[in-house]
Amino acid sequence: MAMAALRREGRRFAPLISPRPITAFRSSPLAPTREAEGPIGVRYISTQVVRNRMKSVKNIQKITKAMKMVAASKLRAIQTKAENSRGLWQPFTALLGDTPSVDVKKNVIVTVSSDKGLCGGINSTSVKISKALHKLNSGPENETKYVILGEKAKAQLVRDSKKDIELIITELQKNPLSYTQVSVLADDILKNVEFDALRIVFNKFHSVVSFLPTVSTVLSPEIVEREAEAGGKLGDLDSYEIEGGETKGEILQNLTEFQFSCVMFNSVLENACSEQGARMSAMDSSSRNAGDMLDRLTLTYNRTRQASITTELIEIISGASALEG
Amino acid sequence: MASNAAVPFWRAAGMTYITYSNICANLVRNCLKEPYKTEALAREKVHFSISKWTDGKPEKPNDV
Repeated sequence: MAMAALRREGRRFAPLISPRPITAFRSSPLAPTREAEGPIGVRYISTQVVRNRMKSVKNIQKITKAMKMVAASKLRAIQTKAENSRGLWQPFTALLGDTPSVDVKKNVIVTVSSDKGLCGGINSTSVKISKALHKLNSGPENETKYVILGEKAKAQLVRDSKKDIELIITELQKNPLSYTQVSVLADDILKNVEFDALRIVFNKFHSVVSFLPTVSTVLSPEIVEREAEAGGKLGDLDSYEIEGGETKGEILQNLTEFQFSCVMFNSVLENACSEQGARMSAMDSSSRNAGDMLDRLTLTYNRTRQASITTELIEIISGASALEG
Repeated sequence: MASNAAVPFWRAAGMTYITYSNICANLVRNCLKEPYKTEALAREKVHFSISKWTDGKPEKPNDV
C-alpha cells in the first residue's frame, strides 16, 4: 500500500528524481496507459493508442482489398466491350486517316475522364494533355474550346480554363455503357458546338498496368475537303465510287458524323477500362502499404508491451529485495 | 463544293446521321420477339447530365 502511494507520488517527481521508468498505478500489464516517461527523454507511446491505430489500418486494408476485387470484376466485363469496339473505328482511320497535325481555326478538345476518384493518376494525365493541346493550338486566329466528360476533369479544368469550356457532361456511367448512350452524347456535342477539328483525349487501355493517354482527331467535312485537295491519304477519296445518287459532300458529312460517334464510343469504353485498371493497381498498392504499416505498428506494440512488463517485473523484484535487505 | 442533289428528308428535317441511325436501330429493336425484345430495349437506356457553359458560367444542367 505504502509502496503504491510512494509510487504515485514518485511519478510526479519522476523527471527530477528517478532515472528509472515510472508508470502509473495499474492492475495488469495490458491495461490502458497514458504516455509514460522512461529514462529522461525516452517516451513510450501508450498501447491503447497503438491498438486503435492497428484496428483502423486493418479495416482500411480490408476495404481497399475489396475495392480491388470489385474493380477487377468490372474490368473484365468492360474489357470485352472495348476490344470489340475497336473494330468500329479502324476502317475510318484506314479511309480518312488520323491527322493530329492538321491546322484549323476552330479546335474543340473533348476530354474523357471518370466520375469517381481513387483511380490513380489517369485523370490528371488526361487534363495535362488537354491543356498542352490547348496551348499548342492557340494562335492568333485559332480558338480552342473544351468539352468535358466526367467529374474529375471538370474539377481540374474549371479552376483555370473557365472561359474556354463549352459543355460539361457528367453521370455518364449510370447505366452500363452502350453505343446508344454514346451516340446520343455525340449528337448533342455535334449540335451544340461548332468545330473544324475535334480532338478526343482519353486513356487507351493497353493492359492492366499500362494506360497511355491518346488523342484521336476527327475533322469536319469542310476540312476533309480542304485536306483532300492537298493530297495525301484523303486525296485518294476521289478514287472511290459513290452509289446511290448522293454527292460526295453529302457522304462526307454522314461519314464524319458516324466517325465521331464511333471514335467517341471507343474512347469512352477504353477510358472506362483504364479507370478500372488504374483503380485496381492503386488499391493494390494501398493494401500493400497498409500491410507494411500494420507490421511496423505490431513491432512497436510488442516493444511497448514487453517494456512495460519488464518494468513491472523490475519494480516487483526491487520491492521484494528492498523488503528482505 | 455545294451539294447539287436534294438533301435526304431527314437532314432537311434537322436530324444528323447519328439521330437517323438511332431511330432506325430502335425500329429494328422493336421488331424483335419476346423475350429478346424487352432485354434489348432495357439495354439501350440513356442517361447523362449535360450543362452548357457560356462565358465561364454554367447554365442549369438538364438530364437526358
